[in-house]
Amino acid sequence: MRTGPVLFGVRHLSPAAAVQLRRALDEVRPQLVLVEGPSDLNGQMKWLCHPETRFPAAILAYTRQPPVRTILYPFAIYSPEVQAILWAHAHGVECRFMDLPSSVFLALEAGKNPREGEEAEAARSTERIYQRLETLTGESHDVFWERNFEQLEAGAYQAAANTFGRELRASLAETPVRAAETVIREAYMKRVICQAVDGGIPAEKIFCVCGAFHVEGLEECEPMTGEEAAALPRADALATLMPYSYYRLSSRSGYGAGNRAPAYFELLWDALNGGGLQEVPLRYLTRLAAAHRRAGNLVSPAEVIEAARLADSLAAMRGSRYPALSDLRDASVATMGHGQFSELALAAADTETGKKIGFLPEGVSRTSVQEDFYRQLQELRLEKFRSAVLQRLDLDLREKLHVKSETAALTDLRRSFFLHRLRVLDVHFAVLLPSRQKGASWGEYWELRWTPEAEIEIVESALLGDTIEAAAAYALKERGEESASIAQAAAIFEDAFLCGMPAAAGHALSVLQGLSVDSATIAGVAETASRLSLVVRYSDLRRFDSAPVIPFIKQLYLRACLTLKEACVCDAEASQAVTKAMDQLNALQLNHDFLEEDRWLSLLAEISDRDDLNTRCSGFAMAILLERGRADEELLSREVARRLSPGIPADLGAGWFEGLAAKNRRALLLRLSLWRHLDRYLSGLDEAAFRRALVFLRRAFADFSPGEKNDIAENLGEIWGVCPQQAAEALMKETTQAEQELLDSLEDFNFDDI
Amino acid sequence: MSDKNVLRLPAEELFQRELDALISAETGTVPTGWRMSPKSVLAYITGGTKVKGVDITPKYMGSKRLVEIAIATLVTDRALLLTGEPGTAKSWLSEHLAAAVNGDSTKVVQGTAGTTEEQIRYSWNYAMLIAKGPCPEALVKSPVYRAMETGSVARVEEISRCASEVQDALISILSEKRLSVPELGLEVPAAKGFSVIATANTRDKGVNDMSAALKRRFNIVVLPTPSDMETEMEIVRTRVAQMSAGLDLNACQPGEDTVEKVVTIFRELRSGATLDGRQKLKAASGVLSTAEAISLLANSMALAGSFGDGSITPMDLAAALQGAVVKDEDKDAVTWKEYLENVMKKRGSAWLPLYRACRELNS
Repeated sequence: MRTGPVLFGVRHLSPAAAVQLRRALDEVRPQLVLVEGPSDLNGQMKWLCHPETRFPAAILAYTRQPPVRTILYPFAIYSPEVQAILWAHAHGVECRFMDLPSSVFLALEAGKNPREGEEAEAARSTERIYQRLETLTGESHDVFWERNFEQLEAGAYQAAANTFGRELRASLAETPVRAAETVIREAYMKRVICQAVDGGIPAEKIFCVCGAFHVEGLEECEPMTGEEAAALPRADALATLMPYSYYRLSSRSGYGAGNRAPAYFELLWDALNGGGLQEVPLRYLTRLAAAHRRAGNLVSPAEVIEAARLADSLAAMRGSRYPALSDLRDASVATMGHGQFSELALAAADTETGKKIGFLPEGVSRTSVQEDFYRQLQELRLEKFRSAVLQRLDLDLREKLHVKSETAALTDLRRSFFLHRLRVLDVHFAVLLPSRQKGASWGEYWELRWTPEAEIEIVESALLGDTIEAAAAYALKERGEESASIAQAAAIFEDAFLCGMPAAAGHALSVLQGLSVDSATIAGVAETASRLSLVVRYSDLRRFDSAPVIPFIKQLYLRACLTLKEACVCDAEASQAVTKAMDQLNALQLNHDFLEEDRWLSLLAEISDRDDLNTRCSGFAMAILLERGRADEELLSREVARRLSPGIPADLGAGWFEGLAAKNRRALLLRLSLWRHLDRYLSGLDEAAFRRALVFLRRAFADFSPGEKNDIAENLGEIWGVCPQQAAEALMKETTQAEQELLDSLEDFNFDDI
Repeated sequence: MSDKNVLRLPAEELFQRELDALISAETGTVPTGWRMSPKSVLAYITGGTKVKGVDITPKYMGSKRLVEIAIATLVTDRALLLTGEPGTAKSWLSEHLAAAVNGDSTKVVQGTAGTTEEQIRYSWNYAMLIAKGPCPEALVKSPVYRAMETGSVARVEEISRCASEVQDALISILSEKRLSVPELGLEVPAAKGFSVIATANTRDKGVNDMSAALKRRFNIVVLPTPSDMETEMEIVRTRVAQMSAGLDLNACQPGEDTVEKVVTIFRELRSGATLDGRQKLKAASGVLSTAEAISLLANSMALAGSFGDGSITPMDLAAALQGAVVKDEDKDAVTWKEYLENVMKKRGSAWLPLYRACRELNS
């Protein structure tokens, strides 16, 4: 006659265990079912039993204070724990979790951090045994388990699982931390059991579902005393139930956390509850074949039959009673897949991993973030987008003047904030499409589609804050602190701006400021400044107070002005970036009155004037001055004459011209004197120097439009006294062979000596 | 049998001791028509164990699982098709499977562009046919026919080289498991244990596509090129030793570094990148299979044994490498020269003698 409580050792996420467990429960008819799981989460159980709940689902416990730590308990329909809870619910038997409260787990977790090395070591010790098993059997641990445990008959399973647990225990060379945790957990579980016995329930009517690993521990250990239990550390923690997906379950490996092939395991579970394990190959193969056909491939029933036969003989070679997943898959590859797994990959993913996503009844145990999300969805009248169909949403961010209330006038703007915040939280609900507007930015185009995955992502953002806004702010802050480059920080600032979150933007700005001091090239500074400039210019549209940004733009502008001259000492390659920065700075200065114009213009004049800088930069400075009307005809002709005077090396002269020609071409084309100078300069060059110059000039003229090139030719024609018609004729003529050869020879120009 | 003068013994004679040991130590159930249980066949192919004091050498070094699938296929009455790039030990595996299952790997149809349907079914001794008319004595049975009668494994090598209509002659045999001889009013049913192992190249010149109908009748196992450097070196080393033992080459075995160099060059030119993945190379037009590396080393041993002092010199190796790599004169010569200059030259002193020898051949 047994006197102690029934200790039923299981493997988490094991269909066979779930089936055997139900049988055992039917037999024992306990008065109390205790399940290994955090004992402060008993409240979540009733939701697991709700008739509308669909698995997989997970309980997520997390600390309230940052740094947020989490523990996740995923449940599938074939989890023994779930079946125990459902059984108890159906039979009106009391059911409770018995493991350490999640708050204690989270607190213990926190205490471990400093000794991370040890922790990793401990995690390895079970893994190490699994690995050794894998090398021994040549199969993955899941398959090993399936072959040797899932396929066992009723009584044998229990004994085998318990033996495995005991052996695992014995062969674990545990590190102190891990061992200590096990001891604490087992003592606590024992305490819960003892309390139940003290509460008047006969011990043999208590049914405990725990990992096979703990059976021996629970048999032997002493219960924790009240004092000890009170002394356990506790973290301030919350918990929520969330829908889960098979995809997520399959992507987490490791014992208890997930398994590689959830859909296949569900198939095992169905088969065990139906006609038995002999059905598994047929169910698997027909499902795989159907999925493969759906993907547009031809699968004959004969191939399916052959796959079943091959799987059987593969199983026989491995000595298992029924084919395991690897047998089935390998057999399918040899028959349906013509030897290539890649052919079947899609169908296999569908059959083994599956696309199933859990569902929780409306209104059940929502996190505050979820509530906030749904409230805003309603408020912003976005509810119709909560469907699986992809829908477009065009937003007009301008204030609508014809509506009555202020909130209604800005609905679209608030929608934009909301969607941008979701984007920052990586919730895949809305995708921002590129703008089709030119020269304006009041339009935003979104594509929205609701997926259950998005719901999971929203639940996960509960870790960051209690509302969407708070979570987004936290995410931005965290990213801001991690950002290493000025460009990253600027992007985060822009995100904060788009989300309409001034505080977060301020934080990003201070990060940006810090970064820009130490490590910024002229290009980076100019890029950042022009991004910020955008924010200032469109701040009204988004109701954003840009005042804090202005001083920073001033700083950046000043720094750029101070370092630009230095940056102009560079080679031809780097000069591209410098001229781009110059262009951006020029636009910046033009856009904002608060930036001193004089400083900019005198700087340009100096750059234009100096001979010891990169000539392309000097030329570009001249071009800007010209564009802004700060260089008169006389100055230009003097500069042209000086820069293109005989004796100036060809690369320098042509480089300068390239810089000059990068802007306001129309104005240049109209100035005949410029072309006269160029002509005179080129005619004065000797053969070798001319060839060099030609190379640079070709580059300078490369992005001129054909029309502009024609105008140049006409200008030159005029200088040379050729009438326009003759010039056109000469231009239209096809290049002769000799000319072509000459042109080709330019391609081989040796740049080594430049 | 006087095996001293035979160039190449069939697998079942070469490894007779191992096979005998496995048969005598048999504990599992033996399928009808087989000489040993599937597990023993697996042990014979993958090796690495000791049975009754006899070391079982590994015959196929690669994924054990693939061998398992191949054997399991033969346990059912399905035919097995081994495909893969040239030189991935398809024929080798097929021969050893047949040797282990039946102790007879010689029922082979060699597929060529000239193979006719008669060679797969049956043909006639025409002199006798004219003299006596159609009679069983005038019938010349094909290896497949004989395998069906005896319930054993027939091999069809290079099946994709045969014309499609010849390939298709196998379809009815594989699905009906009977062969009819209308001239004699005969229906030959296949005895239990009959199966076919076919091999086919995926990437080679002069191969025909296999019809879907025929493919459906095979379980297909794709043999991969060796996954890593160590496996490939192990294969080359073992096979060179086995081969040269039978050939009396009067040369000593190539050293570890020689094997390593050859395998490195082959792997790099095969994949089109250096082993460390840093540098992209032009891939050679030939397949550069492991089998070629093996014959290349045997070839160098022959050179060294016949014309040198018996140990492979860089010069011997260079000549053999030249022949192996440069298959297509125009493209490969450039590839090879580039490889010499860009990769081999920079490998340091250990590679210098080989580099010099190769360059000399190319100058």
